[in-house]
Amino acid sequence: MGKKEMKALSAVSHFVYNCRKCGLCGSKCTAKLPYVCPIKEATGGFEHSSARGKIILAQGLLEGKITPSRELAEIIFHCTLCGNCQTQCGSIDNATGLPLVDTPRIIEAIRADLLREYPEFIDRAYQTMITSTSQYDNPWGISRATKERWPKGLSLKDAQNESHEVLLFAGCTIPSNPSLESRARKAALILKKAGVDFAVLGRKEPCCGSVQKRVGAIDLAQEMMKNNITLLNNLGSSTIITLCAGCYHMLKHDYQTAGTPLKPKVYHFVEFLSQLIKKGKLPFKKKKTLTVTYHDPCHLGRTMRIFDPPREILKALPGITLVERVATRENTICCGAGGGMRILEGGILAEEIGKAALEMVRDAGAEALVTACPFCELNLEAAAKNLVSPLAVYDITDLVSECSGGEE
Amino acid sequence: MSLKLAKGLLQKLRDIVGDKYITSEPLATFVYSQDASVFGGTEAELVIRPGSTDEVSRILHLANEHRNPVIVRGGGASIYGQPKGSPGSNLLLDMTRMNRILEIDHESMTVSAQCGIIMGKLQHPCRQAGFYLFCPFAPLQIVSLGGWISGAAGGGGIWRDIISLTVVLPDGTIVKTGGGPGSNINQHLFYNRNLGGPDFTGLFIGDGGSFGVKTEATLRLTRFPEVMRASIFQFHDLGKVLEMIKRHVECVDPHPFYPIMVFGSGAMRNFMPDIGEGDSFVVMGMMQGHVTQEMDAKLDVLHALGEALGGQRNPALDAMAAAMAASSSSESETMMDWLSFFNALGLACWLPFTLPRRGFAENYQKLISWRQKRLEQAEQRGYRCGGTFEFFTPPDQSTIIGEIDIFFQGTPSPEMFAFVRSTMYAFQEYSHQLGSIDVYNQGMMSNLHARLWSPGFRQLYQTIKSALDPNGILNPDLWVHEQSNFKER
Repeated sequence: MGKKEMKALSAVSHFVYNCRKCGLCGSKCTAKLPYVCPIKEATGGFEHSSARGKIILAQGLLEGKITPSRELAEIIFHCTLCGNCQTQCGSIDNATGLPLVDTPRIIEAIRADLLREYPEFIDRAYQTMITSTSQYDNPWGISRATKERWPKGLSLKDAQNESHEVLLFAGCTIPSNPSLESRARKAALILKKAGVDFAVLGRKEPCCGSVQKRVGAIDLAQEMMKNNITLLNNLGSSTIITLCAGCYHMLKHDYQTAGTPLKPKVYHFVEFLSQLIKKGKLPFKKKKTLTVTYHDPCHLGRTMRIFDPPREILKALPGITLVERVATRENTICCGAGGGMRILEGGILAEEIGKAALEMVRDAGAEALVTACPFCELNLEAAAKNLVSPLAVYDITDLVSECSGGEE
Repeated sequence: MSLKLAKGLLQKLRDIVGDKYITSEPLATFVYSQDASVFGGTEAELVIRPGSTDEVSRILHLANEHRNPVIVRGGGASIYGQPKGSPGSNLLLDMTRMNRILEIDHESMTVSAQCGIIMGKLQHPCRQAGFYLFCPFAPLQIVSLGGWISGAAGGGGIWRDIISLTVVLPDGTIVKTGGGPGSNINQHLFYNRNLGGPDFTGLFIGDGGSFGVKTEATLRLTRFPEVMRASIFQFHDLGKVLEMIKRHVECVDPHPFYPIMVFGSGAMRNFMPDIGEGDSFVVMGMMQGHVTQEMDAKLDVLHALGEALGGQRNPALDAMAAAMAASSSSESETMMDWLSFFNALGLACWLPFTLPRRGFAENYQKLISWRQKRLEQAEQRGYRCGGTFEFFTPPDQSTIIGEIDIFFQGTPSPEMFAFVRSTMYAFQEYSHQLGSIDVYNQGMMSNLHARLWSPGFRQLYQTIKSALDPNGILNPDLWVHEQSNFKER
């Protein structure tokens, strides 16, 4: 170990030593699982690219056999944190039902230690992201005013000043991308049509802290969680709906560790939407003939086990035929954007990983891929541009909006 | 990079495999110093991921020229560690890039594949094509085809189903055994080890990787067994269990699909909470085949045997058996879950044995007593641990393969690792005295086995090794009986 302490890693050292180094996390292959680790698949395939290799490095750090370095940081940040390795490991503590080896937590811990003690080794893209959070309260460096652009003209309730049941939480990624901005509008219009009493925060909407936590800025993320819980608990909302899988995972899962409970119930848009459809509150007026497959976002599917609601929605849409590809549900293959990979090295590797996910779509006989996460959509769209023949990528909100009459 | 690597070698190797598939980065090579074993992997100076037989040939040719040790690694799943070579100058071949299936021949019922493929990846398309590759009780999802042929198949597995190998000899020469163009048969249509001269395929099975690098293999397939029947009995008397195995072997050939497996109730309790306490024996019979009437008849035979010997069935056992039968899967598929199950039990101290059926009961009790003493020593050191046991009838019907493993709970410490290593080593020394030979031929186990060789056999091995590998570069510290360095590590 270096002179500085690897505090966060030491705190999860039991996960490191519980690993038997069997290699299942890098080599498992079944009819439903073409491969486990997207990084291993998209690179030279050396052991350090997979979970076993990274855990061996973690053990090396704990035992002082290796020391933190720029090269180590590069390896540790080459991980999408998709969690497929942990799922396929399947090693569970019989007493608690919890995983014996939590690889994403090991990676996040090393990132946290590197960021805190050895910031000089960290890629500048992450430093910029953290600075942006401090300056603009979002990781992408957009002005706060950008977040009030998408609701313009929709006459939506202001969550801080008007009573409401549901808070629509758009997140940072959707408002900051012109190609995604309409997604939030479409979601709001769908909720309006269904008669949902909801409000938005506009420029006051905070960043949830997910991206910061994933890249290791845990102190910053902790502070954001604390502040956000105070803000969100004081709004009087009974429910929060997120449009982003990352926000959903963060608010629903990570916020449980913050000390103070988050009072409103948290749902992803697809969960809420599938309930509205089941209750007959969202009639569909238009038919869209398309064969699609659904890409389970890691943060929504594998981590939070939201598998059925998006499929129920797609099956309910007139003209839509849903086919399943391999690597679906808990075996889903990461789009490539997770764990901060989208901003690393200009996203080249992220797109390479995304291409592999898209090739499975064609094999399934689908014309288009549908997902429910802006990160997945952005990365898969970028990857699709590099395909020989184009493939459409949709967010599920697009299709629901279209079938329910769009902005009519 | 170490000065022990000759100037220019790295560039020449890069030219062979391309920049993407070679690394000398210290962190990248450090990772290969560990594997699934408590004995560790290899300290490599360079790690290379070759993509073809030709690339392996050119690498070995160069390594010979520069006298660099070459260590070959597949899935990194050996439980006895890897050759250590000469740290500072080792070239490690990570074979897992060679993972293509070359052909599934429906008519000949064979599959040809590159040897770096993980067995699970090989099994899956065979199964999709309606075939089944018989490789019982291997952890399919982590073991490479080459590692399995070199390390385990030669010790009681399915050596007879391996019908042709492409091997790169240590000097870079490419040979094909058993059939096909350029083989010792040199006929396109034959895959048969009985024809055309000496069976050189067998030379490379179970060699631990000493005689050459396996790059491609052709294996016999069987039709996938669509019909499955299972039954489970509980016994309290080892003698009755062994009698049941004996009678079963006499009336039902256990190869390829009818193994009798015996488990300790401790291990089974994770699956069947109602199994009850005590050191009983859970005897599982699985019948897999193609014709319902045949499988039903074999199930009747098993039931009759179990009942005649006083074996007990109960609703929990019957439900487990019914679930197994309903799954319609082969044992290879269930092994995936076994691996996660074993991993969850704790740090494994693997204590495997292969003993003749004759005298098994007496020797088995001795092994159990030996383990009991070791468990007491472990407890004195403050370790929490428990034992499992299982044994079954392999294709070689005269023996019984089994394990009486110990699982250490809690976060392992370096001292615990050392205790596990010394226990594995001492167990093999003791079980050898009882006539056991373990199925594995890798790492530490090859050295232990070599101690038991007769002088004549040792001379034969050394003659072949020095003829094929005059510079001693390939997996150099295998089958070196004088070395006991694994014990100390």
